[in-house]
Amino acid sequence: MKTLGLLLAGLLCLAHPATAHDLQYAVSGANAVVVKLFFVDNAPFSFEGYEIYRAGEKLPYQVGRTDSQGRIAFLPDRAGNWRIKAISEDGHGLDFTLKTDAAAQVAAADKPAYERYGRIFVGIGVILGLFGFLSLYVKRNSP
Amino acid sequence: MHIPDGFIAPQLYLPLYGIAAGLWAHGAKRVARDLDETTLPWLASLTAASFALSFVALPLPGGTSAHVTGVGLLAASFGVWNAFMAASLVFAIQALLFGDGGVTTLPLNALAMGFAGALAARGLFLALRRFHTGLALFLAGWIGLFLPALLIALALGAQPLIAHDAVGAPLYFPFGWAVTLPALLIPHALLGLGEGALTVLGGGLIERLRRRYRHD
Repeated sequence: MKTLGLLLAGLLCLAHPATAHDLQYAVSGANAVVVKLFFVDNAPFSFEGYEIYRAGEKLPYQVGRTDSQGRIAFLPDRAGNWRIKAISEDGHGLDFTLKTDAAAQVAAADKPAYERYGRIFVGIGVILGLFGFLSLYVKRNSP
Repeated sequence: MHIPDGFIAPQLYLPLYGIAAGLWAHGAKRVARDLDETTLPWLASLTAASFALSFVALPLPGGTSAHVTGVGLLAASFGVWNAFMAASLVFAIQALLFGDGGVTTLPLNALAMGFAGALAARGLFLALRRFHTGLALFLAGWIGLFLPALLIALALGAQPLIAHDAVGAPLYFPFGWAVTLPALLIPHALLGLGEGALTVLGGGLIERLRRRYRHD
């Protein structure tokens, strides 16, 4: 009996290093920065790869894929600028920077100045305006 | 297909800027020489339409989406240089004002879609219009979308070879040709059918309106 007890104790001692490979998990709530990527028709940029870098660093802070809604969530560990690079296989993607504090409060993001419909009207206005100037030039030079 | 900043290495975009600058300078001279008061409103309208069309994304199999460009129609109706300059203007406005497509990738977008696409579309249209104008317009529209997709797939897929770190990790666009070629060519071969139909409709409309105003 004593021999059996010693044998069991020995086996337990041998098993101890194996616990290092036993994956555990803990759940907690935290504030995250959530970035949503979508096309101009509001279709989400789903399941595409992304990388997040701290300002000036070459090793990514986080890599992954967007979720089904085209979202990226990350928890900054410090205040500063964060570069987000998202790339799909067919060449769509974004490379932009946002500024946040360590509590994931976003201070600024370098987003485009106009939203979708505004862009179309502004763009058409700029094009027609440029052609208007060009027509004045053509008229002046015509015999 | 508007490639954003950060996808193309300077080893590629700097030489492309040199090539594009030369073509833009030559194109400006050609446009100034060839444009007159009758063609200018047409070109202005089609350039604005091309800009607006780029916001109409069509869903494609696989969950992605793509948009028509109108480059084939511009080239078939107004020639290569007018189409190239008009498309370049559209890409420049999109990149500089709205962040659609990058500033560093502007020459790739302009050369692939605006120049190569327009050149192929115009060539195919001129070669085939004596046989059948509708077919010539359709194929001009199709090639005007498909060829740029091929060139951009090649340029993107070359990035891991052109620019990588000491251990071989890509510094810019990470996927090679095995990924980029099917990812871009298959959707754009399908979308080219829509671009071809649009070119047939647009080309017919322009020709009818031109005839009408010529008679007025």
